[in-house]
Amino acid sequence: MTQTTPESTGTAPAPQGTLFLDGEAHAFQPGETILEVARRAGKTIPTLCHDPRLEPAGACRTCLVEIEGMRRLMPSCAMPATEGARVTLESARIDRHRKSLLGLYLTDHPEAETVAARRRPNLLLDMAERYEAPTDWPKMAPLRASRSGDTNPYIDFDAAACILCARCTRYCDEVESVSAISLAERAAQTTIATADSRSLLDTTCEMCGGCIDTCPTGAMAEKRPITLGAKHEQELTKVRTTCNFCGVGCQLDLNIDPEADAGRGRIVKVTSPPVGTTTNDGNLCVKGRFAYEFVHHNERLTEPLVRDEQGQLVPATWEEALARIAEGFGRVKERHGADSLAFVSSSRCTVEENYLVQKIARASMGTNNVHQCAAT
Amino acid sequence: MAGLVTTFGAGAMTNSIGEIREADFLFVIGSNTSEAHPIIAMEMKRAVHRGATMVVADPRHIFMATMAKKHLQIKPGSDVWLLNAMAHVIIAEGLCDEEFIAKQTEGFEAVREAVAEYTPEKAEEFTGVPAEDIRWTARQYATTERAGIYYTLGITEHSHGTDNVYALANLVLMTGHLGKPSSGMNPLRGQNNVQGANDAGATPVYYPGYQNVNDDAVRKKYEASWGVTLSPKPGLNLNQMMKTLGQDLKGMFIMGEDIVLSEPNVKNVEEGLNRMEFVVLQEPFLNETARFADVILPSSVFAEKDGVFTNSERRVQRVRKALDPPGNAREDWRILLDVAAALGTPWEHLDSPAAIYAEMCQDAPKFAGLSHERLEREVHQGKTGIQWPCVDEQDPGTLYLHKGGILRGKGLFTAVHYRPSMELPDEDYSLVLSTGRTLYHYNAATQTRREVGLHAKQSEAFIQIHPRDARRRRIEDGDMVTVTTRRGEVTCQAIVSGQVRRGSIWMPLHFAEARANLLTSDAGDPVTQTAEFKVCAAEVRRAPESAQKGAADAPACGSAFPGSFYREAVPQNRQP
Repeated sequence: MTQTTPESTGTAPAPQGTLFLDGEAHAFQPGETILEVARRAGKTIPTLCHDPRLEPAGACRTCLVEIEGMRRLMPSCAMPATEGARVTLESARIDRHRKSLLGLYLTDHPEAETVAARRRPNLLLDMAERYEAPTDWPKMAPLRASRSGDTNPYIDFDAAACILCARCTRYCDEVESVSAISLAERAAQTTIATADSRSLLDTTCEMCGGCIDTCPTGAMAEKRPITLGAKHEQELTKVRTTCNFCGVGCQLDLNIDPEADAGRGRIVKVTSPPVGTTTNDGNLCVKGRFAYEFVHHNERLTEPLVRDEQGQLVPATWEEALARIAEGFGRVKERHGADSLAFVSSSRCTVEENYLVQKIARASMGTNNVHQCAAT
Repeated sequence: MAGLVTTFGAGAMTNSIGEIREADFLFVIGSNTSEAHPIIAMEMKRAVHRGATMVVADPRHIFMATMAKKHLQIKPGSDVWLLNAMAHVIIAEGLCDEEFIAKQTEGFEAVREAVAEYTPEKAEEFTGVPAEDIRWTARQYATTERAGIYYTLGITEHSHGTDNVYALANLVLMTGHLGKPSSGMNPLRGQNNVQGANDAGATPVYYPGYQNVNDDAVRKKYEASWGVTLSPKPGLNLNQMMKTLGQDLKGMFIMGEDIVLSEPNVKNVEEGLNRMEFVVLQEPFLNETARFADVILPSSVFAEKDGVFTNSERRVQRVRKALDPPGNAREDWRILLDVAAALGTPWEHLDSPAAIYAEMCQDAPKFAGLSHERLEREVHQGKTGIQWPCVDEQDPGTLYLHKGGILRGKGLFTAVHYRPSMELPDEDYSLVLSTGRTLYHYNAATQTRREVGLHAKQSEAFIQIHPRDARRRRIEDGDMVTVTTRRGEVTCQAIVSGQVRRGSIWMPLHFAEARANLLTSDAGDPVTQTAEFKVCAAEVRRAPESAQKGAADAPACGSAFPGSFYREAVPQNRQP
């Protein structure tokens, strides 16, 4: 076996140069921005419109830094790292700028109680609190239109909570590439719209929910938890697991309300893990993000069933059902031999369960007749 | 998979999903990626946005084709012609990687001879793809360093599926596009745990970890490990099982599969099941197959159990329990242990998924370094999960296969020739029917059809038909139509779409009331027995219901699939 186990794809080129962040030297690689170098070095630079999956927009101005030799503050998300650059991440000037900027954002943003109704984290309010932004500036009259009458059951848009960072529309263009939503109208009326304000159901939208995942304020949010009045995302228990649909193996977080459904617990929503930590890179599709209601469906089987003498399936205890199996398989094996039995396992079940099915076929019953639907 | 095992020595994606975005050339064939593997499609889109060239070969103008530099709208079943013609061009124009061929492969001469007659011009007749497009694609593929092939069931679900895989592998081997990042041959797996189910030995010819059941040393190892005598005789595969129901087979245990919905030519399957003496089903929902079961065991879904799934890139990842199963339902692994005990083989030491997994890995060298405990603890290249092969505790796993040389030793060229599909269109059945999956549903759809949003987006069964084929049959968009093959007929809605090839129709497999598999042929590939879901002869006519529907005031038109991009009259070019 000549198998090797590389540390990386072998694609990472050697560091290209060095820049200075608050006086400290940091190596950077070709194509990296100042923000990327800083975050890799564990520095905190606040951002609202930045998403590593998207091209830099430089729109929200929260990531401004001082670069020696440049007169104005510059957006670190859009500035390429250059050899010898001296960058200041924290200064009185930056702090002053940030406070005013966040204060201005807040004049066009609903109160915390209204925002909480979205049941999603709000990065703007967190940031305003952390940087002690002024909260008492007079509020603007909200002029952005939401899309009333959109009957799609999954994605809800509240224009009031939108800060027009355009992460959702850029995600729709650049990542999902269906361009179902875009910025529309002008000035204070600018909003996120579909063609002719149609329901998302009647657009090219594939309901991947990437707009929700990337939204920093919860303007884009899961509709079901809102209409059901579920708990806020922060009060839910996240269980990281692997999606049960296709073979990509997306990691997802089941957001569980453990007290719901008389203590059995209930999946309130599904969110994706942070960008860059899993194979799916923060992305999910419509099935992964929204198709979990079947778990709680009232047609789930809750009792073993056995066929009675009239040919009807009737409820039975586990003991009865297992005894029937022992008797049934025993009888077939005795009459026709082990190879008259076959086991159909499932590529939907876990590795452990597939292991047990083949072990039962081989070790308990003595046949290699075991397969599943997926051996193409 | 058999084809890949033969040629390379391992039946899995040779690259990782994360490498797709770094590719410079993507050849996507027989894969409706944005619907069947949406997240992999996002990685491909990312590569295209970065400037990569993508070529999509598919009978339909699928979404990925709108982002591709070229769409090769191939006739269903003519893949070998297309691929051999590409090989012909690569050889004729001297674009082979001679050094790679000499050092790392064997059998090239046979392929050189075989493809000599497959000129692009002749291929154009069979495939419908312009000769120049074949030449261009072959040149681009051969001359781009980071060139990857991505395929799924459009390649394998044919009576010549293994030939298709060989023909693809020949292209990979003659250009040396193997053992390098973003460059290789990648079957995208359809189910969450296809890879894992095969890894675990749920196959008639392998013990866990692809160890042959007819290898005496392997069998002795398992006899010692499990303390029983084991059968040296390879078992029946699924297609063979379905054909011998009630004959050679008298008893069956079915976990988590709705065989009377998902297997081809289901009428025969149903007749066979009626003759069975004893059938056990383990399921979270009553499905169509339940009608034939003697005992049904209520099982759990993924959110209710612990364990691992192995994805398409061989990455083993944890599944974690978030909820208890409802009522008296139980986790599948507990049920299976109960069944084993009832059958006289109690395995008390296997008291948790972690213990079961440990037993599996202990006897399978490819997984020897894996355990639940490591999967919880370790992160590699910033990502969760570990990719097998992983041979010991220190092994961080394997990002892409064949790096230090092909696993098989030498990559094996296999000369293949075109064989027509088993059932071709004729006077009575003049169209070619292909079946497949859509974005909004999943296989037997016991889960997805219980979802309100997925239902809103795609509520009922449909076929897609070309406008000219529709006009000849006086079918309009939204009409109810009857689809007939030699095996059966179903009624569903017609979507008239210029994005389907003329002479071809396409139908999703998900809908129990219009089961595509009443129509499909169970002709199997001679090696894998995989059924020919992608080609059979069919006819369509306007159903009598259409007249009634038209009379009612509710517009039937378009209700099966609102907002479908397949209704765009002229497919928009979405290339950045």
